[in-house]
Amino acid sequence: MIREIKEATDFLYKRGIEVPEVGVILGTGLGNLFVKEIKKPIVVNYNSIPHFPISTVEYHKGQLIYGDVKGKKVLAMQGRFHYYEGYNLQQVTLPVRVMKLLGVQHLLISNAAGNLNPDWKKGQLMLIDDHINLLPDNPLRGENYEIFGPRFPDMSEPYSAALNKKLKQIAKAKKIKLNEGVYTAVAGPNLETRAEYRFLRRIGSDTVGMSTVPEVIVANHMGLPCCAVSVLTDDCDPDNLKPVNLKEIVKVAGKAEPKLTQLYVELIKTL
Amino acid sequence: MLNQIKEATEFIRKRITQEPEVGIILGTGLGNRMVEEIEEQVVINYNSIPHFPITTVATHKGQLIFGKVRGKSVMAMRGRLHYYEGYSMHQISLPIRVMHMLGVQYLLVSNAAGNINLDWKKGELMLLEDHINLQPDNPLRGENFEFFGPRFPDMSEPYSKELNKKLLRIAKKEKINLHTGIYAAVQGPSLETRAEYRYLRTIGADAVGMSTVPEILAARHMDIACCAISVLTNDCDPDNLHRVELQQIVDTAATSEENVVKLFMGLIEQL
Repeated sequence: MIREIKEATDFLYKRGIEVPEVGVILGTGLGNLFVKEIKKPIVVNYNSIPHFPISTVEYHKGQLIYGDVKGKKVLAMQGRFHYYEGYNLQQVTLPVRVMKLLGVQHLLISNAAGNLNPDWKKGQLMLIDDHINLLPDNPLRGENYEIFGPRFPDMSEPYSAALNKKLKQIAKAKKIKLNEGVYTAVAGPNLETRAEYRFLRRIGSDTVGMSTVPEVIVANHMGLPCCAVSVLTDDCDPDNLKPVNLKEIVKVAGKAEPKLTQLYVELIKTL
Repeated sequence: MLNQIKEATEFIRKRITQEPEVGIILGTGLGNRMVEEIEEQVVINYNSIPHFPITTVATHKGQLIFGKVRGKSVMAMRGRLHYYEGYSMHQISLPIRVMHMLGVQYLLVSNAAGNINLDWKKGELMLLEDHINLQPDNPLRGENFEFFGPRFPDMSEPYSKELNKKLLRIAKKEKINLHTGIYAAVQGPSLETRAEYRYLRTIGADAVGMSTVPEILAARHMDIACCAISVLTNDCDPDNLHRVELQQIVDTAATSEENVVKLFMGLIEQL
C-alpha cells in the first residue's frame, strides 16, 4: 500500500507536479468550468499513473490537472472513484494520499447529491458541515500506518471550520445561496427508495450521495484540512418522488457549476 | 474453519490443567487488574496458537490466561480482535468458538465505549441490556455449522437477564454506579462525527464502540450465557464535542477498571 502510494507520487513529481498547494476533487457534472480556470496546465491521465484506479463512470473524465489558479499551484482530479464501481476504499482514497505526499495543504471537494431538506431546492449548493457514514467499509480498516496518522482519527471537525467560514463569507459577498448541512454517504449505486429517504432524513441528513466521505476520512487521518460543497441535483421528497434520470442530474449540476467554481476560485485566492 | 477451531482447541487443551467454565474478554485499558486476580496462571500467547489471529492494537496484549478466580476455572482474553484491524468476523469469533469447545458456559465481556447518553458521565459503567449491530458483516455469515448452533439464532435476550440481575445486585452492594443501556457497534476506526452521534442517539443507542457485538453473536449462537460492561471513556456530546486522544480513553478506562473487576469477581463467585 505504502509502496504503491510512493510510486504514484514519484511518477507525478517527475511529470512536473512538484509543488501543489491546493487539491481539488471535481464531482459528477462539475468537471468542466473549474478546469478552465487552471492556467499553464499539465494533464496526466489516470491510466498512465502507476497503481491509480481508472474511473469507470462515463461522465467522469479520468485525469489529473496541475497548474495555476489565482497564483496558487492547484492539483485537480477531473473524475473521482466510487465504492459502487467495485473499488475498495483504499483504492478510492489513494489519490488523496498521493496529493498529501506531493505537498497539498488544503483539499477542496465537490459532489452531486440528492436533497432531502424540504426547505431547499435542486440547483442550490450545500456546504458540508458534517457527515454520516453509512458506507459498509472504511478506508482506514486494516493495518494503520503511523507515518500517515493515528489509529483512531478524531472526527470532531472533519470539515475545517476555518475554510467553511471563508466559503460562507465568499458566498455572502458574491450573493450565492449556500446552505449548510449534513451529508450522508451510502454505497449505491441504486438510488434510494422513499422509505430510505425518510430514514435518512430522520437520522439527521440534509443530503445523500455516494462519495466524499472516504476522501474526507483519509484527509483527516493525515491532518489535511478539507472542505466540501454539494450541488443539490434532485429533490428527494418521499411523498412526491419521481423517477430520476442521470441526464437530468448532470444537467442540474452543470447549471450550478458556475457558482461552485466561483466559490472555489475565490477561496483559493485567500489560501 | 471447523478444523482450525479444533486444532487451536487441541493445542490449548494440552497446555492447561483444568477446562474453563467462565470466559472473560478484557477490553481497551481493562487488561491489568482482572488478570492479577487469576491464580494458578497458565499463559499462552496468541501468536503461539495455531490459526489464532494476533492483535495489532498497541493497547491490547495478546494472551490467553487460564487459572482460578474464587475457586472457578476461568479463561481470560487479554487483548481482543477488532474488525477495523482488518480481521474477518470469522477470525474475530474464533477465540469464542474455542472457548465453547473447551467447555466455557459463561462469557463476561468488557469494553471501552463512547458515552452518548448525556445523563451519564465518563468514567461510569454501563451494563449492556441490548445492542444495535451497525457493523457491515456478521460472524455467522456463510455455511452454518449445526454442531455449534442454529442458522438463525434468536436475539431476544443476547445478554443474560439472570447474569445482569446478579451484576446489578453486586453493584448496589458495592456502591458502584452501574447504568443499564444499549450499545451500538460500529466498524471504526475513525471516531464518530457530531452528526453520527446524533444519529446513534436518535436510533436508541446509549454507548458506541467498535467491539463486543461479534463475540456476543458467536457466543449466543452456541448458547453461552453472556454479559457485558462498557466503561464510558469519553462523553460524546454533539453540541460540545472535543478532540479525543486515545491516551485519555485508556486512562479513563484504567481508573474505572477496579469497579469492573469487583463486579466480575462478585459475579464469578456466584456462578
